[in-house]
Amino acid sequence: MATDDDDILTGPVPAPDADATPSERARAKTFADLVDKTLAGRTPPAMSTDDRALLEVATVIRAASGKAELPAAKRRSLVEDALRQAVGGAGGTSSGGVVPIERARRRWVPWAVAGTSTLVAVAAVLLLWLRGAPTAPTVAMPEPTPVHQLSRPADPLIGPISREQVGDASTRIDTIYADRLDGYRERRLARGRKP
Amino acid sequence: MASEPATAVELEEEQRQVEEAQAGNLDAMRPILERYAQPLYGTVILPRLGDAASAEEVLRDTLATAVEKIRRFTWQGKSIYPWLRQIAINKVYDVHRQSKRSRRLADAMVHEVPIESDPDSHADAQLIADQERAAHRARIDEAMVNIAERYRLAIELRLIQELPREDCAKKLGITIGTFDVLLFRAVRAFRKQFGERTIDSGGAQDGD
Repeated sequence: MATDDDDILTGPVPAPDADATPSERARAKTFADLVDKTLAGRTPPAMSTDDRALLEVATVIRAASGKAELPAAKRRSLVEDALRQAVGGAGGTSSGGVVPIERARRRWVPWAVAGTSTLVAVAAVLLLWLRGAPTAPTVAMPEPTPVHQLSRPADPLIGPISREQVGDASTRIDTIYADRLDGYRERRLARGRKP
Repeated sequence: MASEPATAVELEEEQRQVEEAQAGNLDAMRPILERYAQPLYGTVILPRLGDAASAEEVLRDTLATAVEKIRRFTWQGKSIYPWLRQIAINKVYDVHRQSKRSRRLADAMVHEVPIESDPDSHADAQLIADQERAAHRARIDEAMVNIAERYRLAIELRLIQELPREDCAKKLGITIGTFDVLLFRAVRAFRKQFGERTIDSGGAQDGD
């Protein structure tokens, strides 16, 4: 006899040997998969209300039979969470331990630090205000560099080069070098005299 | 699971840890919480909730409440476990009150298991947990008696012995698909019996 299984939780339960409808078979398969996952410790978070109600029954049966063990890692994690939760959600200490409640309750320390910082900042502002605005330092403009100490063309010094003197480049170079050396010496010695 | 009563040395150690925690060193609570987390989860919370995720949350809240209120605990020469257990049961009641789940099953699950509460009895945590587990199992067995033999067998093989579906089907001489249907109906039938029995015995406040 096929059964109508629309009302899973409160409807009558068919006899063990009664024929199942395709709908019931599909629901039974879904439930079987949920049981598989639950036994493997991977209970899915989302499921129908009916499935959840039936899975709760299955879990109660297993728990009453001593089959519901809390893994050691999970247990330690829950204990740690509980200890942290108890001290007000503090992030924990560097060693992973828990701050003793007396120490956790020293809430005046942050306020003291903040207050002291504010006082120092106010004092600094007052000091600046009392000293007045700083006068801008006068910057002496440097004297202009004489032309003979600047980089400049050598044409005025050498003048036109005649065809006969074209090959006498060394004389021209010596002339230019001597002229530039004068400027260098003057500038060098003048700098040495300055304070 | 066999158990050994707590020795006087263990009780003294537990008392020292409690006193240290009451003095402000919460780390002293850690061994106590780790020792009793499993019995609280497996025999107090999960059998009354039936949902592992919710049970873990309740356990966490229970342990946190215990740490927060440790100063209120008065050592009476026996384990702190009964005090922790009572906190856990109160949390479970809170969950059932807040949830929208079936009242019938919820009432059946939170039905109090009688535990020796004589203050002079020095029953330790393991004895209480064993006693509670046995009481849960007796209630399960009572409901099992009232369902069909094949349903009982399906539940026994799959949920208690935790055999794979294939093996369960083979033992019963049916296909896996048929076994799935059998287990589905078995859990439905058990659920009805589990709730009905509690209501008949006056354990529930009202029906669905």
